[in-house]
Amino acid sequence: MPSVCLYFEVHQPMRLNHFTVFKIGANHDRFSDYFNDKLNQEIFEKVAKKCYLPTNKILLDLINKYDGKFRVSFSLTGTFIEYCERYMPSVLDSFKDLFATGAVDLIEETYFHSLSSLYDDLDEFEKQVQMHRQMIKRIFNYEPKIFRNTETIYDNRIARKIAELGYKGIITEGADKILGWRSPNFIYKPVNANIKVLMRNYNLSDDVGFRFSSRNWPGFPLTADKYANWMSNSFGDVINLFMDYETFGEHQWIETGIFEFLKHLPGEVFKHDNLDFATVSEAVEKYKPVGEIDVPWAISWADEDRNVSTWLGNDMQIACFNELKNIGRKLKEKANERLLKTWRRLQTSDHLYYCSTKGLADGAVHAYFSPYDSPYEGFMNYMNVLQDLKQRVTL
Amino acid sequence: MGDFNRVMIDMRIAMIGWEYPPFKSGGLATHCEGLTRSLSDKGVKVYFFMPKTKHTVNSDQPNLVIKEVGETEIFPYDRPEDKALAGNFFEAVHRYNQLVVAKVKAVAKAEGKFDFIHAHDWLTMEAATILKEEMGVPMVLTIHSTEYDRSGGIFPNQWFIDIERKGMEKADRIIAVSHFTKRVIVEKYGINPDIISVIHNAVYPIPEGKKQEIVLFLGRLTIQKGAEFFLKAARKVLDYEPDVCFVVAGAGDMLSRLIDQAVDLGISNRVVFAGRLTEEEVKHIYGISSVYVMPSVSEPFGITALEAISAGTPTIASKTAGVCETFDNCIKVDFWDTDEIASKIISLLRYESLRKTLAENGKQEIELFTWDNVAGKTLDVYNGIDIARLKKQLKEREKIYEWNTKHSKP
Repeated sequence: MPSVCLYFEVHQPMRLNHFTVFKIGANHDRFSDYFNDKLNQEIFEKVAKKCYLPTNKILLDLINKYDGKFRVSFSLTGTFIEYCERYMPSVLDSFKDLFATGAVDLIEETYFHSLSSLYDDLDEFEKQVQMHRQMIKRIFNYEPKIFRNTETIYDNRIARKIAELGYKGIITEGADKILGWRSPNFIYKPVNANIKVLMRNYNLSDDVGFRFSSRNWPGFPLTADKYANWMSNSFGDVINLFMDYETFGEHQWIETGIFEFLKHLPGEVFKHDNLDFATVSEAVEKYKPVGEIDVPWAISWADEDRNVSTWLGNDMQIACFNELKNIGRKLKEKANERLLKTWRRLQTSDHLYYCSTKGLADGAVHAYFSPYDSPYEGFMNYMNVLQDLKQRVTL
Repeated sequence: MGDFNRVMIDMRIAMIGWEYPPFKSGGLATHCEGLTRSLSDKGVKVYFFMPKTKHTVNSDQPNLVIKEVGETEIFPYDRPEDKALAGNFFEAVHRYNQLVVAKVKAVAKAEGKFDFIHAHDWLTMEAATILKEEMGVPMVLTIHSTEYDRSGGIFPNQWFIDIERKGMEKADRIIAVSHFTKRVIVEKYGINPDIISVIHNAVYPIPEGKKQEIVLFLGRLTIQKGAEFFLKAARKVLDYEPDVCFVVAGAGDMLSRLIDQAVDLGISNRVVFAGRLTEEEVKHIYGISSVYVMPSVSEPFGITALEAISAGTPTIASKTAGVCETFDNCIKVDFWDTDEIASKIISLLRYESLRKTLAENGKQEIELFTWDNVAGKTLDVYNGIDIARLKKQLKEREKIYEWNTKHSKP
């Protein structure tokens, strides 16, 4: 009997101010100058109203309606929580209310939604996981058992590290190149570590996340009963539906009927005797691994390529990534908390995502999420900021 | 797409231009060369009529015949300001058009009728209009720029505007080099948008040279091309990167003012005014430059941007330029925002990864911009003209004209 495992990624990056080369090393208050607080607040409040608040309300009602049998999981990034605390504490309260039902699980990740898992050593990665852990502990008094890396970036090295840190499970993409003929609807285990791996069912997940409102998709219009039928006919232990939380009301607008879909989903799922809901911790606890996966190079859930080329696919991105690492090395020699925090905020993967020059289908998705007119604008702005920070660090 | 390259059997085009490479003053010549060569490759017989110059222009294509007509001293981008000079100028334009009419008719008589008259910009509109009516042949007009572009929007000359409007009104189909230009044709000249097709320009790629720290401006030194903004940005760049060399290539009525400006800005030792370059020199300078800047005040298309990009030179172009509406891998700016232009020039000079990514992706995207493509789309325009209906329309118009002449008051 497959368990439906719904998990949502909740994240907002700290977008940058317009930063010309003339600002590099100029005499001004650099830190308040990097991040565009006004834009960030605007976007956060907009998304909160369109997505976070209404969707949390729907989920809370559904959990109460089905007496806790409807279960979901969240991963909240550190930058997202900071926005909540700074701009709209009511958003954070609504997440606390959800968590208090006992039907909601929380997932660990890096505080800054960064690419630190791809650095040469994993010290910084471990530090950012710890920061996230402390934050969840402070706000929810909870210690997550399951880990999901930034955009489900995963390889053997990351899996081993997460196992060492004591987590019971890790989430990644059910990528064809890893699974081959095998189904994502089972628990797997890495070749090199003792931890359970949840593989995202990208077909069913993307039906909601990407294709829900696409009129030239044969599945259109997607209704809750149709979707529940598809799941009921699926084979396996667990159906991992992982998506951006902003799917609800932001990527898919209210007019598409996405909220109606969500409201009816649990009821339609419960019509099938062979389906139930499980949080990520429950799924990991309940099911045994059926096989091993070997991932020597990093995969992720992003774009068609399902690798890290979304963030490190061109020379500009690699230059910024290397610059970030260089700054980190220099920062280690200095114990300056403010510089450290700024450096970490600049590690948020979105900054590199905006510099992606991938074309065609993915390009449109990139353009939708980017505050810049082009990846070149994104690069110049980000690199200028990094140069300023570098000067500051070497002073 | 099946119809894409459908060629009318024995299609014969009389194309009227003003200039043809290697001797040229702007994108019109480049376009005419690319278009006529690719059309003739597709089996269309093209007769290209142009003024006789000191240098004879020859065609090496079997289907392309270049016919030189009379002699003239006028360039299509000239804008006479002095009245006495203007008198000669307008007279010369009229004379050239008359000569073209006579020549086209003679060729048609001797070598066979034409299926279409295709003219480029205002200079040849008079001839095209007369030929259309006297030979009963549909007329296609390509608009590369309008008086509003050439004047930079400052005191556009009504004389040109009237000629342009008259020509556009007579054209059976208009080809605009960008959506930007199509909008101007519709909004400023009141032309029906349904007869206007947008066909973006293309480029014959230029080889990449050994890159030096050169920031290049290349174009006519007229108000339209915005060289003054290039110099202002250069001043700012040099404050931060004192060793960069700026090259201003081209000639035009702004030259002495620009030289004065460079002196006033205190950067005359870092700016080279290269004058008008030969075709070989143009290729060389594109190849060795690190950044190309096209800060046009008004730019219907901007082939030079494609030329620079094809030579692996990262390009900063005016946001409103026609090329920017169809090309992704360049940097887009407001021409008046010289601080921003300077910041971007410096970024390009400092960040190798940016130059490399722009150059690689730019060259890749350039491959989509072929003259073969332009010729194919132009053929679609020819083929889309319903000749029978047009002939009927022409007769109707003649009737109205006759009626008007009879009934108009003396």
